[in-house]
Amino acid sequence: MTSCGRFEAEGLLLLEQGLPLDEHFATCADCLAARASYERLRREVGSLGEGEEPPAGWQARVRERIEERRESRRRWWTWWLVPAAVAASLALFLLVRTPSPQVAVSLLVEVQAGSVVHRGGDAQPGDVLHLTASLGESGEARHAELRVYRNDRELVLRCSDASPCARRGSELRASIPLDGIGRYQSLLLLSAGVLPPPAANLDGDAAAALAAGAEVELGPEVVVR
Amino acid sequence: MSGQPLQEPSRASGVLAWHPRDPDEEALAALDRRDPDAALSVLMRAYGSAVYRYCRQMVTDADLAEEAHQLTFVQAYEGLAGFGRRSSFKTWLFGIARHRCLDVLKMHRRRQKRFGPIDDEPDLPEPGGSVEDRLAERSLAQALERCLRTLVPRVRVAILLRFQQGLSYPEIARLSDEKAPALQVRVARALPFLRRCLEEKGMAP
Repeated sequence: MTSCGRFEAEGLLLLEQGLPLDEHFATCADCLAARASYERLRREVGSLGEGEEPPAGWQARVRERIEERRESRRRWWTWWLVPAAVAASLALFLLVRTPSPQVAVSLLVEVQAGSVVHRGGDAQPGDVLHLTASLGESGEARHAELRVYRNDRELVLRCSDASPCARRGSELRASIPLDGIGRYQSLLLLSAGVLPPPAANLDGDAAAALAAGAEVELGPEVVVR
Repeated sequence: MSGQPLQEPSRASGVLAWHPRDPDEEALAALDRRDPDAALSVLMRAYGSAVYRYCRQMVTDADLAEEAHQLTFVQAYEGLAGFGRRSSFKTWLFGIARHRCLDVLKMHRRRQKRFGPIDDEPDLPEPGGSVEDRLAERSLAQALERCLRTLVPRVRVAILLRFQQGLSYPEIARLSDEKAPALQVRVARALPFLRRCLEEKGMAP
């Protein structure tokens, strides 16, 4: 520990600013010791994690995820373009003919900016938020609800079977425009019984749903700037 | 494996020789050929380890750090077509990595707040070797990692980008949309805090 406080109070900032130190710092023994100590600290931070490598196969995983997102975009494209009647018929056909896939409960949150769809957390006013919930193996038998809160307080989306939600087997989808600046937090609620009505407060509503025995899946936050 | 340059042949002196090539040049050339896959390969090879080290120190939980690391390159790929060439690829990538690390940290905290602690003790990175004479050095590094974790994320970002990644203040300012003087003050104030934290752990730098 050094006794001269001037180096910490002035010298460190001068060094970070790339400015020369005044003469005191070249002659004060405590300051010289402090400077040497901070140089070592900088080097230590610089060598943190040295030699650490990402896990094997990470590059292949990145490419897989890119492909998954491409596929997801293609799905949305199809979703919007195929006439509703054809989609409904196909959905009905698939529902009758194929068994439900064994899927886990999940909530996919995507942002559509123009023609580009991404899963990043940033968005701009005018973008569209797309939610795709997989309701799991027993999801069809349970009540499922999608909610989106803005800034944790304002409930901007709540739907289940009716518009803007669209339910197909064990999948529930909804889209909303991101009109206002703020943080948008998505929730999927799955319950065998009746869910408590929302009080337009994310924390309170999530706690009430959990207390009522609901399964709560939290999506990634999207920030509209 | 950071900044590993690719090589290309040159006949400048009449003799076939191999010269290292800057990864940014290589990636830009791939973009000019409209080959974003090749550009991504170059960027992953050149900056994959550096971005990983940064994410690991920012997030500390190994799974979340891997998530942020992979998302950085996924998002980079999707943004390659719009890369403005106003900064280096390194600065650009760390700008993306900064956002993704802060996102996973926020999400982790929100989950902890709502559904209880998921992992009270985040994984510590395992150092490469376990040689006895590196034990002291290793414990200093671990103490420093713990001290860094006590800094708020925006201060940790500045410290790591400045000293671990060697970015200049103007570069950090550009990628974090802040002012360089504010970052300099932030770092200068954080260093005594780190030093005292280490001293409290009996690890004077």
